[in-house]
Amino acid sequence: MAEMEEGIQRLGRQDRAIANEVQKSVRERRPLTLRRVITNEYVLHVVSAAAFLTLWHEVAASGVFKGGLCTPWEVVVRFRGLLTDTLAGLTLWGHIAASAQRIAIGFVLASAVAIPLGLFMALNPYVNAVVKPVFDIFKPMPPIAWVSIAILWFGVGEESKIFIIIIGTFVPCLLNAYNGIRLIDPELYDVVKVLGGNRWNEILQVSFPASFPAIFAGLQISLSLAWTCVLAAELVASRSGLGFIIVQGMKFTDAALVIGGMVMIALVAWLSSLLIAGLEKLLCPWRRDIRDL
Amino acid sequence: MAYEEVKVRKPLGLILLPFFSVVCFFGAWELIVRTGIVPATMLAAPSDVGALFVDKLTNPNPDGATIFVHAWVSMQEAFLGYLLALGIGIPLGLFMGWFGVVRGIARPIFELIRPIPPIAWIPLTVFWFGIGLWGKVFIIWLGGVVPCVINAFVGVRMTNPTLIQMARTYGASDWQIFKTLCVPSALPMVFGALQIALASCWTNLVAAELLAADQGLGYLITMGRRLALPDMVVLGMVSVGVMGALIGLAIDEVEKRLLAGIRR
Repeated sequence: MAEMEEGIQRLGRQDRAIANEVQKSVRERRPLTLRRVITNEYVLHVVSAAAFLTLWHEVAASGVFKGGLCTPWEVVVRFRGLLTDTLAGLTLWGHIAASAQRIAIGFVLASAVAIPLGLFMALNPYVNAVVKPVFDIFKPMPPIAWVSIAILWFGVGEESKIFIIIIGTFVPCLLNAYNGIRLIDPELYDVVKVLGGNRWNEILQVSFPASFPAIFAGLQISLSLAWTCVLAAELVASRSGLGFIIVQGMKFTDAALVIGGMVMIALVAWLSSLLIAGLEKLLCPWRRDIRDL
Repeated sequence: MAYEEVKVRKPLGLILLPFFSVVCFFGAWELIVRTGIVPATMLAAPSDVGALFVDKLTNPNPDGATIFVHAWVSMQEAFLGYLLALGIGIPLGLFMGWFGVVRGIARPIFELIRPIPPIAWIPLTVFWFGIGLWGKVFIIWLGGVVPCVINAFVGVRMTNPTLIQMARTYGASDWQIFKTLCVPSALPMVFGALQIALASCWTNLVAAELLAADQGLGYLITMGRRLALPDMVVLGMVSVGVMGALIGLAIDEVEKRLLAGIRR
């Protein structure tokens, strides 16, 4: 088994392993024609990105949207300025830190409660019978619908934002931990039973390791949801954060501020999801990736 | 599975516990509001919410429309955005999965737009479309199109390569392979996208209405907050939840009918 895994890892990029079949493919040397160059994926990437930026620039410069759109270069200039200048008392770094702090607190609190709860629900039918119906009532409510009630309860301070993040991240964390265990192949449990293990062995040896990938998938989903939630909360009422930058842009019809804020959020959200992916590689190396995803 | 499934009767406790827990939940909710542990300015008891619902069936005040009108407006926006997302996202994802040229062109733009939460588009949308129907449809569309593209793309990429190679051996063209192999094998993933996209559309609907609307369930919630009427906020939340769940169930049913016989 170990040899096979090693063998699969040694295969080059061109080879694919699906289930237990390994397919070798050989790269053939074809003449370099214009057609091949044009249809090369990486060339197309560059072409399409360049076309996108040019189109954006042209549309913005033509003034169809008046103040509603600005050229890409204006966004860069505006945000280079924000690195040192302040907006409502904070530089760009300060706003990023404000949003990131809210996310970190809410995310950690929610996952610390939701993951164990999800595991318990899947492992114990009685816990499931008590929690699941109540959870099912809350599940279909979009987290953003909680913004209003959070403000009624906690005012416009930090607590209401963290509360919304908790609400938003709780559902996918719990669902994935729950399904991660429920969808384990029952034959794996049979193996433990045949080898003379008890329930505790089943949980430690099968349930936890097998549910890890699902849990991490849940963390990824909830992280991106957390950014959506923090944004919604900050759009409604805040004095700091990336959502606040966007709202300021909206108030003063400053498209550079709005677009720059959007790009920053995309960037930070992307970086934080890389962080989770790295953590996952570190903590559960047994996860098999679907290639080219 | 290699063994016969044995039907085990659930113990009585397991059958009764779910009902017990729901009753307890609503009971506790009603109690903490009635006894004043949570002040009535912050949370409304379930009975108050029910009474407001009955009242809102006919009474358009104080937010300007009956609950049916709000729900109908929201439904319209959500379905327009959802259908547009399906109509554009699924073909795009399928093509991106199989044709290198489409992938090369669409991928950079898609990767650029994907990590931006749809809510972040609200200000730009307001600049471009105003606060009318199409602005909200645009936000909802953005929320729905991303999962559609990703799922259709992954579905095509997960086609069994052995089948593709066999088709090639028999001389099938790229288009034939796409049509007869890739699309059917991507179908289960595509149907998965229907549910995900719906949830995403529904979330973004509330967001869009939260910031820029004059009708709709999200607007009902916002008005409830502005007027400090917790029963209206809760009614809005519950209506959004219930409608989302109902539509989800309907799509589940459609999926079961259409996918009968296709391996999951």
